[in-house]
Amino acid sequence: MKKTLIALSIVAGLMLAASPASSEVYIDGFLQGLYGARLDQDNPTATEQTASETRLQLRAEDFGDKGEFFARLDFIYDGADSADYDWELREGYLKFRLGSNFDFKVGRQILTWGTGDLIFINDVFAKDYRSFFVGRDDQYLKAPQNALRMEYYNSLGNFSAVWTPRFEGNRLPTGRRLSYYNPMVGATVGEGYFFDPPPPDSKFENGEIATRFSRQVGNFNTALYFYKGFYKNPLGFDPVAMSAVYPRLNLYGASIRGAIAGGVLWAEGGYYDSRDDRDGDNPYRPNSSVTGMLGFERQVASNLTVNGQWQVDYMLDHDIFKAQQMPGVYVRDEARHLLTSRVTQLLNSELVTLSGFVFYSPTDEDAYVRLSVDYKYSDEISLTVGGNIFDGGHQNTEFGQFASNDNVYMKMTYGF
Amino acid sequence: MRNLSRILIIALVAIGATAAVQAQDTAELMKQSHLAYYYAGDDGKSEVIMRMVDKKGKERTKEFIMLRLDTEEGGDQKYYTYFKKPSDISRLTFMVHKSATGNDKRWIYVPSVDLVKPISADDKNSSFVGSDFSYEDVSGRHWTEDNHTLVGDSTMDGKDVYVIESVPKKAYKGFARRISYIDKSNMLPLKEEYFSKKDKLVKIMRAEKIENVDGIITITSRSMENVKKSRKTTVEFSQINYNVGVTDDIFTERYLKTPPRQYVK
Repeated sequence: MKKTLIALSIVAGLMLAASPASSEVYIDGFLQGLYGARLDQDNPTATEQTASETRLQLRAEDFGDKGEFFARLDFIYDGADSADYDWELREGYLKFRLGSNFDFKVGRQILTWGTGDLIFINDVFAKDYRSFFVGRDDQYLKAPQNALRMEYYNSLGNFSAVWTPRFEGNRLPTGRRLSYYNPMVGATVGEGYFFDPPPPDSKFENGEIATRFSRQVGNFNTALYFYKGFYKNPLGFDPVAMSAVYPRLNLYGASIRGAIAGGVLWAEGGYYDSRDDRDGDNPYRPNSSVTGMLGFERQVASNLTVNGQWQVDYMLDHDIFKAQQMPGVYVRDEARHLLTSRVTQLLNSELVTLSGFVFYSPTDEDAYVRLSVDYKYSDEISLTVGGNIFDGGHQNTEFGQFASNDNVYMKMTYGF
Repeated sequence: MRNLSRILIIALVAIGATAAVQAQDTAELMKQSHLAYYYAGDDGKSEVIMRMVDKKGKERTKEFIMLRLDTEEGGDQKYYTYFKKPSDISRLTFMVHKSATGNDKRWIYVPSVDLVKPISADDKNSSFVGSDFSYEDVSGRHWTEDNHTLVGDSTMDGKDVYVIESVPKKAYKGFARRISYIDKSNMLPLKEEYFSKKDKLVKIMRAEKIENVDGIITITSRSMENVKKSRKTTVEFSQINYNVGVTDDIFTERYLKTPPRQYVK
């Protein structure tokens, strides 16, 4: 009830702001219906619908000489599980400049950096895989964070720092709509195993700090990264509370990206320092790891763009990790390889977009395929159909655990 | 006209030395036209409405703001585009560092995911945002990339025009031959006809409206008709300003993420 009142007052505020008195405020948005169904029958989840929702997004923007304001507010009716109304402030921030070198962005915001295409090494801003796996728009892969971003520009380059006072973890499948692997049970679970790990305590020291220094060197954009916070997935376990936890993490990384050979080339690496398990001997915390990727994208025909990426994730102290595992459970290799490829074909004067994205790990023997066809019927209306297909030889790998969650969806959007 | 040009070329070749001078003069005319058309002022700002009509008569519209800075007159340029409509691309920004001689560099910023992305830009002939204009049609194909021949003089809508044929020096998939009709009074192209390798007319650019903007004669509406696909795109420019003092730093990631509000409203 309280939430509804807040939502109503925000809408009222937006409408007031949009009144002719302040002609600068600009409002637009979209109305969208998304319906998805699972292809697998034997899934332990509560519903066979992966999506059944109507979404209204309102965007409001105002700006003056000193700064600008932007808000993005979603209202959702979600009937996939039990009928439910919900709303979320996706973004609501103030942007302003101090002097000529400092840019600030304060408030609820979506944050992205790094070079990968759906592979995130140094981008440790919150992701929403619950949305990503059921066909919501690409923008929903990114979950908002309440944060303060500062950017400093000078002739050396650009220094960015993001402080998120309250940790924001990734949104992962909960078992209600998408099943997942539960190591406690040793099986893929659904209904009855609602996955909702507690975030780190609300303490000043538990805030997240993400920094980047980037600089253009010739054709290439180079960057260094440092992050202090927690793993965004709850990879740890608290044996007393019998609950998954977010382990502490320091991350050091670097990236480079630029135009070469008629395309765009990128490389990125990172060292994940698992602060609570530096020797790798704590069975309840993830081991540290070193990870790197290489990618290249090129327009191969006038409306056809193809890219490929190769990532290697190297776990430190893998022998100790291996010795800690229960017998019979698949143990990942010391070096996990992941190959991805995206193919985008535009047809009919860019009104039709065919898109395919494949993740494939030869070491984990699992895969995830995303397919979609999007048709812009008019400037306002677009139609999308798509599918998410998971496959794997083991039920505890990154994509293998979702093997029963294959789904297809359709989506209609009216933009205004 | 084609035959006429053939005869003319043959005649010119026969004269030999005169032909070389002639070709150079024609290249100079094309240079003047190019500068008048694509390099007006040192920089420029305008609001753009782009209407695309397909063969069934269905219309789609895009609205955006465009900033241009000439790094060098007749040379490299920088373009900044801020999309206003339709809704699915509103606030999206796009930047091109155009190289007169090499490959362009292009970046896109998608605000809904805070994503800055360089785009592979090998192909200057690919469509600009789904329209019948290519990137090259928007920012201009450098005159030194083609051999130009003055085919003759003519009149068009009561204006005296040069008729110039341009043939790419290196085989090019955009066109095999182009005929430009250039207004002698202001050097702006009133019409351009593009022919394919099989010498079929494939597209036609027309200057639909020409106005005096701050003392600079400007094409304020132009269209590109795709003859083969029976499609047409019309681009209207409004709120045009020249020499507004656009600075080089605007064409960087910082402003890609935060539009320069003094120009982008």
